[in-house]
Amino acid sequence: MAGKSGRTINNVPESSAKRMILSWEGILVLVLIGVNIFCAFFSDVYNVANLLRQMPYYLAEMFLMIIMAYILVLGEIDISVGATVCLCATVSCIVCNAGAPFIVVILATLVTGTLCGALNALILTIFTELPPMIVTLATQIIFRGIAEIVLGSGGSISASNTQGFKLLSTKVNLGFGKVPIILFLVLIVGIIFAIVLGKSTFGRRVYAIGTNRLAAHYSGIHVQKIRFIIYTMMGTAAAICALFYVSSSYGANTTTGNGYEMDAIAMAVFGGISSTGGKGNLAGGILSAFAIVCLRVGLGQKNVHAQVVLLIVGALLVAAVALPNIIGSLRRAVKKS
Amino acid sequence: MKQKSTLKKLLGSREFLLLVIVIAMFLIVSAINPAFFSFKAISDMMKNNAVTMVMALGMLCVMLVGGIDISCMSALALSAMSIGMLFKYGGLTSTILAFLIATAIGTACGFVVGLIISRADVPPIIATMGFMYIWRALGYLVSFGGEWAGANVLGDFPNFGTGSLLGLNNLVWVIIIAYVIFFIFMKWFRLGRKIYAVGSNPEAAQVSGINVRNIKLLVYTVMGVLSGLSGALYVATYASAQPNMNETTGAMDIIAACVIGGVSMSGGRGTVIGVLLGSFIMAMIPKALPLLHIDALWQNTIKGVLILVVVVVNAVLQRVADRNALSRREM
Amino acid sequence: MKKTLIGAAVAGLMVLGTAATAFAGSADGMKIALVGKSAGNAFFEIAASSFVEAAEAEGATVDVVYPEAATADAQIKVLDNLISQAPDAICISANDVNALQAKLEEAMDAGIKVSSFDSAPNPDSRQIFINQAGTKAVGQALMDAVCDLAGGEGQWAILSATSQAANQNAWIAVMEDLAANDEKYANLEEVPIAYGDDEPQKSTDQTQALLDNYPDLKVICAPTTVGIAAAAKLLQDSGSAVKLTGLGLPSEMKEYTGADDAHSCPYFYLWDMQGLGKLSALTTIALVNGDITGALDETFTAGDLGEYTITEADDGGTEVVLGLPLEFNEENIEEMAKLY
Repeated sequence: MAGKSGRTINNVPESSAKRMILSWEGILVLVLIGVNIFCAFFSDVYNVANLLRQMPYYLAEMFLMIIMAYILVLGEIDISVGATVCLCATVSCIVCNAGAPFIVVILATLVTGTLCGALNALILTIFTELPPMIVTLATQIIFRGIAEIVLGSGGSISASNTQGFKLLSTKVNLGFGKVPIILFLVLIVGIIFAIVLGKSTFGRRVYAIGTNRLAAHYSGIHVQKIRFIIYTMMGTAAAICALFYVSSSYGANTTTGNGYEMDAIAMAVFGGISSTGGKGNLAGGILSAFAIVCLRVGLGQKNVHAQVVLLIVGALLVAAVALPNIIGSLRRAVKKS
Repeated sequence: MKQKSTLKKLLGSREFLLLVIVIAMFLIVSAINPAFFSFKAISDMMKNNAVTMVMALGMLCVMLVGGIDISCMSALALSAMSIGMLFKYGGLTSTILAFLIATAIGTACGFVVGLIISRADVPPIIATMGFMYIWRALGYLVSFGGEWAGANVLGDFPNFGTGSLLGLNNLVWVIIIAYVIFFIFMKWFRLGRKIYAVGSNPEAAQVSGINVRNIKLLVYTVMGVLSGLSGALYVATYASAQPNMNETTGAMDIIAACVIGGVSMSGGRGTVIGVLLGSFIMAMIPKALPLLHIDALWQNTIKGVLILVVVVVNAVLQRVADRNALSRREM
Repeated sequence: MKKTLIGAAVAGLMVLGTAATAFAGSADGMKIALVGKSAGNAFFEIAASSFVEAAEAEGATVDVVYPEAATADAQIKVLDNLISQAPDAICISANDVNALQAKLEEAMDAGIKVSSFDSAPNPDSRQIFINQAGTKAVGQALMDAVCDLAGGEGQWAILSATSQAANQNAWIAVMEDLAANDEKYANLEEVPIAYGDDEPQKSTDQTQALLDNYPDLKVICAPTTVGIAAAAKLLQDSGSAVKLTGLGLPSEMKEYTGADDAHSCPYFYLWDMQGLGKLSALTTIALVNGDITGALDETFTAGDLGEYTITEADDGGTEVVLGLPLEFNEENIEEMAKLY
């Protein structure tokens, strides 16, 4: 059943130009342009400067999306990342308030996140029969629970020394506007991971596992080793996200990172990365993430009711996956008759 | 194959193991705090978890065909909010009508989700994530951006949640009836067996003449029916309808209840009894922890660890059972 | 005696509230953004609508903006959007004390005035806080109610919202301080706090646990609107002898309020929500007009609400206090339930 949901199954070779435009990534480029044109007309304060200023918060979530794409290609899911972000943000504030130099804050946060990811990875690779969804659901409750215990009855903490975190939100003036360094970072990390996923042996193996785990196993791929690496990296990504989160809040609380996992999954899936595994690529994920961010910024600037924005995002998500399938089956039906 | 004795089969089953866990939890908590062990306490616990327990049955059907539904709590909010607003402004007074309307709205929600999943081949997690946002947003829109319907506008409706029949609370009756119906339906009805067939092997089911798409449509519609019904139950229980109801817990508690009850996420495995015991365990955790005088701040962590432990222990025991079965076969 | 005094205060405020006089627009063309905790909060809507009414009467335009969830994360996104729109002022009810600091500082750097009401962010993130009723006054009123309902001695419990709810924690701190240090409450014994997370189901569970754990419990105090309604329903349905007080919405609590044994809540408190909205609007306008800067001891006239002085808040920032908490009992509940 799942095999039919592909978007770009091209048994007949087509001309490369036609393929590029008709591919999901090509459509996403058009969507991104369309969204920006729409927003520019819709909101009178939608411009490069404001877009660059509002972006960092969403860009932090893109770190999650990048690794989540790997997990989705594996055909799996990790819903504990939001809670990991919460725990990491809490740790970073506590370490910072203890007077540690900023490099120590960064290291402590990265270690926390990586450990959280490694815990997921450990359970999932020892008990391979357990569904990732339920394991990460349990760890989600546990990670946030630990943050609740650490934060105590106040449930909230602020970073007393914001010097280091301000460094993370530095902006570079490039003439057309002040570009936050997180944008460069996301693009660099995104491109590296996109190349690794798309072109390297490691990436090909991830696809192999996602398409048919048993076949991958018998063809000599260390399935569990690869899963372990990816889930651990997911934790590290959550730590990076947490650092940038704190740089745009100077504080953390027990609800920090609520729903980030859903945002990350939505960005990836809208980018054509199927949750059934083995399909899609990161280029699509990055394009769709920017399209969603631009749309949310544009709608937000006109104070569109937050629930309506979510409704639009939800409808787009369903439509993005449903429409190609519907069109495909219609085309097949027409051909048959 | 040799027929195993019924007793041995019973003792070796996952449900039996769960029953042991439930009883052990009961005894341990009751030993520490006798307040836990009373008819009233159990009845109260079921009453307060009616929504989760009833919806877990729908989730069982969905998970049996290898699907998942995380939009069900939003569908609950939409149907509950709709009747709440009808009570407030629409002149609705009849309890039965309120139940019917809520169930109808829930059914419609489930049907749409089922159509998208079965006809457009959208992966269930993605489709229901989308509809989780959509139904929730519609719930807000129905409530004119965020009004509540409180006890003062609901009239006699909340009496359903407090009323009782033959000494048992109405909500407990609803749970019992729902479980009995599903038990019979899943075990002896052809449609129920078809759901299992589709879950164990969709291709084989298709070849043997089962319309897999319609079965998928059916399970999400069933989930919708129960979401709508639960929406009405929710309003009756708490005498309040708010658009953000159950937003934070979402469907995850229900999924956890099913998985603890031995329902496989890849489909084909799971029983009504297992779901009953699983949702009992999920209901007992928040009920028992304060009775054990555990600091409120620790409760979530302990809940998470408990879920993890139950799931892991289940997996380990399954491995042992599989190994035993294998060694017997080799002999 | 005290009750009649408060009653008179209610009546007085209501008269003032209804007699909104046309004012020469002191805020023509001013743009104010009002940020709520989340959509779907009936409690906030009342204050918001009177905020809008008061500000528009002065000639200002108000955008009421809700985040997608009741979290600081969602409010950060909203503040980002607002800074782009560059309104003259932002008035916010904060979901978290600390996590909005970066964005609110950015807003103030961009020349936007920042006031807050209902729930305050930390002093660094705001210029002024409009406090619905002094934290001490609320704590004192609740503690007196507990003492009164318990008959001066016995066990009492608190059913709060979430463990990180800033308002609730502040009131509880005052109550616990009073209980520990005031002779009057020496015979009262507090049991550990229960958290219902502002969800009916969890609040019900927690209330039930309190009843089961402490058979001698006399009073439950729930300083949260969702918690008090859930507890009231449970106590009333089960015919428990435990009495309830706290902070609640009259419309939600109407069914449960009464002095006899058939009702679970003899009386409870809230504040003048309409007055809060109005005072917040006028204070914000005064801030934009430069009548005040949010510094200690400044005074200003808030239309027909009278003159207000800026005082020091418990967290070290500055605040304007609206007045005393209002008591709701079986005499005024019918009337007040129609209002909010």
